[in-house]
Amino acid sequence: MANRTYEVMYIVDPETPAERVGKLNEAVGKVIEKEGGTVVRMDDIGRRPLAYPINKRTEGYYVLFEIDGSGQEIAELERRMRVNDMIIRYITIRVDEDRKKAEKMKNKRDRRQANRSKFRATEETEAPAEAAA
Amino acid sequence: MAENFERPERSEQEIDFADEGFGEKAPRRYQRRRPRQVVPDYVDWKDVDLLRQFVPERGKIMPRRISGISAKDQRRIATAIKRARTMALLPFVQD
Repeated sequence: MANRTYEVMYIVDPETPAERVGKLNEAVGKVIEKEGGTVVRMDDIGRRPLAYPINKRTEGYYVLFEIDGSGQEIAELERRMRVNDMIIRYITIRVDEDRKKAEKMKNKRDRRQANRSKFRATEETEAPAEAAA
Repeated sequence: MAENFERPERSEQEIDFADEGFGEKAPRRYQRRRPRQVVPDYVDWKDVDLLRQFVPERGKIMPRRISGISAKDQRRIATAIKRARTMALLPFVQD
C-alpha cells in the first residue's frame, strides 16, 4: 500500500507515574513496528496545561509520534488507545498529503520568483537595445 | 415608525472616505483595510502560537472578514484550529 505519514498525538493522565508513561510509549512503538510501520519521530512533549478540563484534569502529559506506514498500524494503535485508561485523548492526522501540497506551493512560488527576477533583469538590460533597434 | 428607517448618522470615517474623490453618490463602502497575515504553506495544527492569532479572546475562530486571509488559507487555519481544540491545545470557548 501506498506509503503514508501520520502524526499521532495522545494525552496521558498526568497522575500516572513517569515509568509507566515510558513503558506505554515503548509499547506504542512496538505495536507500530509489529504492524509494519516505522516510527519517524517520537516526541515526548511532557506536561502541559489543558485548554479545558478533560476528566477533571487540568494538565496533561503530551506525547507525539510521527509514523510512516500503510494505515494498518494506525487501526491497531487506535484500537488499543481507545481501551487504555491512561490515555485520556488521542488524535491521528494524516500529514503526507498536506505536506506535499505545501511543497508544491513553495516550488511554485520559488519558480515564479525566479521568473520575475529574470524578467526584471532583461527589462533593464535590453531596454536600450530595443530603443536602438 | 418612520424614525427607525432614518439613516444613521454617518461616521467620520465614512465622510472622509466619500471626500476622497468617490463623489457624493458613492455606494457605501466597507473598509477593506486588512491586516495581511502571512499563512505558511504548511499549517501545523500543533503550532498554537500561530493559531492563536486567529482565535480572539472568546475562543471563536476569527471570520475571514476580519482575518483578511484567502479562502484557502482560512480553511486550512480553521481545520488546524479544530484539530488543536480536540487535543485541548486551544479552547472551544473561553470563560
